[in-house]
Amino acid sequence: MAAYVLKRLLLFLPTLLAVSMLAFGLNKCAPGDPVTQFMTLDENSKTGADYQRYQRVYAETAVRMGLNKPAFYLQLTTAAYPDTLYKVLQADHRANLSRLVARYGCWPEIQTYYKALQRAEAAFVYAGLRSDASIAARTALLQLYGQHEPGPIGARLDTIGMALSRDSALAAHGRPAYAALTDACRAVEAGATPWKHYIPALYWQGFDNQYHHWLGGVLKGNWGVSYRDERPVFAKIADAARWTLLLNLLAIALAYLIAIPIGVYSAVRPGGRFDRWSNVALLALYSLPGFWVAILLTVFFTNPQYGMDWFPSMGVGEPGRGDSWWDALQLRASHLFLPVAALTYGSLAFIARQVRGSMAKALSEDFVRTARAKGLPERTVIWKHAFRNALFPLITLFSGILPAALAGSVVVEAIFNIPGMGFLTIESILNKDWPVVYAVLMMTALLTVAGILLADLLYAWADPRVRLS
Amino acid sequence: MQTQEIQKKQAEDASPLRQKAMRWSMRFLYLLLFLAVFGDFIANDKPWLCRLDGAWYMPVARELLVKAGVARWPANLVNLDWHAQRYDLSIWPPIRYAAGTIDLKNSNYVSPVAPQQVEHWRFRHWLGADRLGRDTAAGLVAGARTAVWVGLVAMSIAGFIGLLLGSLAGFFGDRGLTVSRAGLLGGLAGLLAGGFYGFVARPLLWQQNATWAVLSGCALLAVFIIGLAWLAHNMLGRLPWWRRRATLPIDTLVMRLVEIIDAMPGLLLLLAVMAIVSRPSIGIVVVVIGLIGWLGVARFVRAELLRIRHFEYIDAARVAGLSEWRVLWRHALPNALRPVVTTLTFGAAAAILLESYLSFLGIGLPPEIVTWGGQIQAVRSNINAWWLAIFPGLAIFFTVASLNLLGEGLLERQKQ
Repeated sequence: MAAYVLKRLLLFLPTLLAVSMLAFGLNKCAPGDPVTQFMTLDENSKTGADYQRYQRVYAETAVRMGLNKPAFYLQLTTAAYPDTLYKVLQADHRANLSRLVARYGCWPEIQTYYKALQRAEAAFVYAGLRSDASIAARTALLQLYGQHEPGPIGARLDTIGMALSRDSALAAHGRPAYAALTDACRAVEAGATPWKHYIPALYWQGFDNQYHHWLGGVLKGNWGVSYRDERPVFAKIADAARWTLLLNLLAIALAYLIAIPIGVYSAVRPGGRFDRWSNVALLALYSLPGFWVAILLTVFFTNPQYGMDWFPSMGVGEPGRGDSWWDALQLRASHLFLPVAALTYGSLAFIARQVRGSMAKALSEDFVRTARAKGLPERTVIWKHAFRNALFPLITLFSGILPAALAGSVVVEAIFNIPGMGFLTIESILNKDWPVVYAVLMMTALLTVAGILLADLLYAWADPRVRLS
Repeated sequence: MQTQEIQKKQAEDASPLRQKAMRWSMRFLYLLLFLAVFGDFIANDKPWLCRLDGAWYMPVARELLVKAGVARWPANLVNLDWHAQRYDLSIWPPIRYAAGTIDLKNSNYVSPVAPQQVEHWRFRHWLGADRLGRDTAAGLVAGARTAVWVGLVAMSIAGFIGLLLGSLAGFFGDRGLTVSRAGLLGGLAGLLAGGFYGFVARPLLWQQNATWAVLSGCALLAVFIIGLAWLAHNMLGRLPWWRRRATLPIDTLVMRLVEIIDAMPGLLLLLAVMAIVSRPSIGIVVVVIGLIGWLGVARFVRAELLRIRHFEYIDAARVAGLSEWRVLWRHALPNALRPVVTTLTFGAAAAILLESYLSFLGIGLPPEIVTWGGQIQAVRSNINAWWLAIFPGLAIFFTVASLNLLGEGLLERQKQ
């Protein structure tokens, strides 16, 4: 048995590794700059004298977030790109440099241009000059960081040149830097090598990379920090998971309670009227979109217009301080009734069909015939002899249902405003709070894999043939 | 003995109800297909045929030609408010609004049973209208087109991938597929080169929209893997060491891939992917649904081929000297195709449901695409607009139920 467990565990490792890479990769592709999302509004101000502080705080934050490291062990790119682009900390600069490389394909010249740009910035953006010409030059120069096409770049350079010729103080500061900048720009255009994009380049970036550190953190329970409120992602998910688990466990328990009698009775008389109609009804039930049922429940049962305003529509209810436990229970129950109902019917159909199949198999076994031949009452035959044997596959079914139910509750939670994992996911997507989104994806994958593993192990424990073959 | 009797009885008893259910499902799906194809003629804010100021026009047909870029509107008809004209004669579509028509007189959630501001009862919004006065019935017709599109295209992609990987895994198993070492090396090189030219270098050299980028990237990847493997096998494969065959555990590889994608719930994965697409479109939604929806097909084809490959006629074909690939494509796979249709119907139901979840949540689809899920979303801002919940919801329900009943019926038929 131990060997079997070990083998199954080892087989799941590559799956988890691949899922973690996908979650990390999607997180990296997400739009928006994580660093500015982390900085306060005040720190994000780029105007005038604040600009230097902005750059300093930006660099500090980026280093603190580990963004000064390469993203992954390997980097597959075109020969035009350098392997060290990650060392440019500012995301908008990095994106623009990468667009420049995409257009011109000559990294050494572009690097020279970038350095000339920074030197020009140091020469006359921070010089403290207040004249109109110097302000125009400073604006045009900072705009250059976001330009990659020859037309707009030329226009900005012309603006700076004109400002230099109008203001002698500015010219004294910035003339050499400006000359270097225009030279560098011309060199980029002259040395363009777009053909380098046809040549692949594979770089080894070493173990000191963002993925390595992220995965290490995940294994230690450090799932990163939310962009929105800087709370640890793990704590946020744990808070949300309480509600999701409560909802889903209630719903699944209810589904089993209803599904077992339906499945057993339709299996006892296969082809009977009850069997046929319950079969069609369950299939229809299975086809009902969950969000539609949830919406209909809110429209008709939380709305005074149709005289059926029986349930509250929002949230999970907060019992007051002085309420007795009975009042609190009533409040919670009234809030949770509709969401649980909306979650129950989906797994109900699935479970009932499984019960029917499993029960039909058990009823056709020899021991049932023996029990009948002994003259036992039919009730005893069905529930004591057949059902007990049909029960086992149903228990392992549970581990498969739970992850599916977690995903299914996304919409139900969103509609009923229940602060569970689904609600958290939607909210985080809308807020562009990517660490939370991909942590939830990782978490559900972990739960699914754990569920499958549990099912496998239960099967192997009950049926030795599985682990021996 | 007893089991067989039970099953036989079951099949006989169940069949009339099943037959009826299947027949009605088929009818509904034909209706849906009809709406998808001829939707412009059924819900449109222009007449089919009209006589205006002494001239005859066919505005609906002309609109289609204009959309196709073949014709142009005459100067006097550009931006014409077709509802406001006095016609000598006009023949209208049954629904006199297009999905995007904004009816300002009937804006702010007009109920189907409430009085409406219309000139004639024929211009009523029979199923109500939404906040902007867009007709619900016209939205249903446009939504049918989206649903059919999602079902057909997503399942074509899923069917292709599932058939390919599932048949390889099932027919060859872990020991059956051998390639020369040269071919293996070429295939690996093709994987790297195809990944590079398909996904790293191509966006730099050749800009295009996201849907075609994903599809052409995958196609390039496949071409590179097969091409380089073939090339290496024929060139390098002449050396003795490189000619020796290596076993490719294709079954394990495919099943691991299935397991990886299966570990993430479809809706969450779709949400996570669509959330970062900068310019969402229906095409990219469909492609992503197809790329994660092939698991069922692959599993089914694999199981089917595991069974088929032990049949005698397969051995006979082998003994006759046919190559393994020919046995697979010409003898084994055609017999697995019919059951695959069943999984494709279930898959289409799941795809349509998944898309409606997505557009209900409002993530991943541009607002101008009309979908049933998107129509239902409007209920969240006005809980009294029951018609926006009922009718599109029924459309989704009937579509998904028809597909499921059809699949169920086909499955039952195969068992007999």
